[in-house]
Amino acid sequence: MRIAVRRYAVSIVRGGWAVTDTEYGVVARGVTRGFGPVQALRGLDLTVPYGQVTALVGPNGAGKTTLLLILATLLRPDFGEVRVAGLDPVHDPSGVRSRMGWMPDVFGVYEQLTVREYLAFFAAAYRLDGAVSNQRISDALLRTHLFEYANRPVHILSRGQKQRLALGRAMLHEPAVLLLDEPASGLDPRSRVELRDLLRALAAAGVAVLVSSHILSELEEIADRVVFVNEGRTVDEQDIHQLAANHMSQWRVRAADPDALRAALEQRGVTAGASSGAGTELPAMAEDAAAELLAGLVADGVRVVAFGPVGSHLETAYLAMTQERR
Amino acid sequence: MSLYGVMLVVRQEFRVRLRTGRWRWLLGSWVAVLLLFTALLDLSLTGATGPRGVPLFGGLMLFVLALVLIISPALTAQSVNGDRERGTLATLQVTRLTATEIAVGKLLAGWGVGLVALALALPFVGWSIVEGGMTVLRTFVVLLVVALLIGVVCAISLGLSALLARSITSALLSYLAVFALTVGTAVTFGLSAGVIGGDRATAKVWWMLAPNPFVVLADATPKLPPAFDIQGHEIPQPGDPLGELGRSVRQLRDPDYYDEYADEPQHHPNPGPVWPYGLTFDLLVGAGAVWLTARQLRTPAARLPRGIRVA
Repeated sequence: MRIAVRRYAVSIVRGGWAVTDTEYGVVARGVTRGFGPVQALRGLDLTVPYGQVTALVGPNGAGKTTLLLILATLLRPDFGEVRVAGLDPVHDPSGVRSRMGWMPDVFGVYEQLTVREYLAFFAAAYRLDGAVSNQRISDALLRTHLFEYANRPVHILSRGQKQRLALGRAMLHEPAVLLLDEPASGLDPRSRVELRDLLRALAAAGVAVLVSSHILSELEEIADRVVFVNEGRTVDEQDIHQLAANHMSQWRVRAADPDALRAALEQRGVTAGASSGAGTELPAMAEDAAAELLAGLVADGVRVVAFGPVGSHLETAYLAMTQERR
Repeated sequence: MSLYGVMLVVRQEFRVRLRTGRWRWLLGSWVAVLLLFTALLDLSLTGATGPRGVPLFGGLMLFVLALVLIISPALTAQSVNGDRERGTLATLQVTRLTATEIAVGKLLAGWGVGLVALALALPFVGWSIVEGGMTVLRTFVVLLVVALLIGVVCAISLGLSALLARSITSALLSYLAVFALTVGTAVTFGLSAGVIGGDRATAKVWWMLAPNPFVVLADATPKLPPAFDIQGHEIPQPGDPLGELGRSVRQLRDPDYYDEYADEPQHHPNPGPVWPYGLTFDLLVGAGAVWLTARQLRTPAARLPRGIRVA
């Protein structure tokens, strides 16, 4: 199935620079939003390009859900510029709604309906007509692996299956922009892999996908870009490969002969950390330095079995960011 | 607002409700209660003057009104905040359904259930017609007014469910609203008349009673045409709970008026009806409540009711 991506040549000019929306599914600049005395967003910036998966990462209360609600046309920002699929969600919410799919972090489903009825209701609410609607429903059932449950009541589905049903619902009208709030929570490992493949396929078809999540190791596999938010502000917006290349992360090495490894490291002036069954800890290095060290160890005749970063780059970057807060 | 959107919401509400509740049992006991009431009332009327249909119908419809006033808040008092609590409202709001379509659809769904309850009373209305003395106009008007009043109570309850975060609070307040309309208006009227004092006190505060659903229903009931026997003598009118209540309310507008003046309006003009004021007021409150519901459902939301998370 091909996802039709509508592109708009509207441009936002602000502060001297211009972005054309043929490139970005979502553009947010200086967005603020308060709830009474609580300031949830304090000037947040974000871009979500078409054809890529952008991860929204930040601690609890950073403002991720608030931002997604604003993008999903449910909340009005206090200040700031927002464009979703080229349109302003405040002035043209219905235009945005027909081009945007949203899956909330916490949601309910109509437990009494069957899976097919549930999807059919939303297809009707998106004003898809008969033939198109049936096609999209079958498609959503296949993509979310719920086909065999089509005629079963929603209440018998597990939490993860309901999560997939909600994702199917969000894709029914083939949105150009897909906003997913914690889509992987409650999914079993297989479903997570399937979610990853599904999102990659959507991005490949040109959809702008924004995913917020806490499960960082997974985001690294799904996302092309990452936006770190903290206390209602954008802390960093980066390409994930660049993040990996630039980031100083901890490494771990394991060799067939640990003593030979220790000797070789000592000779190269590398202070080795604790050793365990998983290997020997190495100090923080960028990717380049790590590659150099590995080549050196191999050249020294050390029989290296494993060499890799500890945890994910995203995770270390995230921990470094939240560390600054304390 | 489009008919398509409204009907989609109505169908969805019906479907979701019909599969949750034990409707057959509820409707079955509703019919049983009406049957018991009508049968007992009919028995108690043996020996009454005139055709029994009029008092039977009047008693039945006052009883039905009392019951639907109790049922109606339950139909919509959790329509909006209940959906919010279950997490199904926001996903509805991001579709192409508009706030007005959702509000009106939810009202019509609740009202529709109320009308089904009213329709189940029709066999007993038929029973009173068979007993004689009823006119088509009277039957039609009374049923129409009860139907409208069900809608008003549903609309008020819907508005409260949109305004308040917790469905328990809105359900409670909906019953308080019905209590205010029925007992509240009567108490306010009685106390105010007492405070003002004097013979003509009620002429100044009769309007306080106007929104009362029982007053609206009784006063809106068309008068019975005079009946004559074969010799042309006028037959005394049968007992008529609706008509009598209506007459006594009109008399409050003009305490100097007596029933004997009815045939000589040139001597003493008949006091005007009360129901147009009351029904207009009630319908305006209902319409306002629907407008408020739509406003609360409009997104993107600038302000949220206290204690609400959008999704």
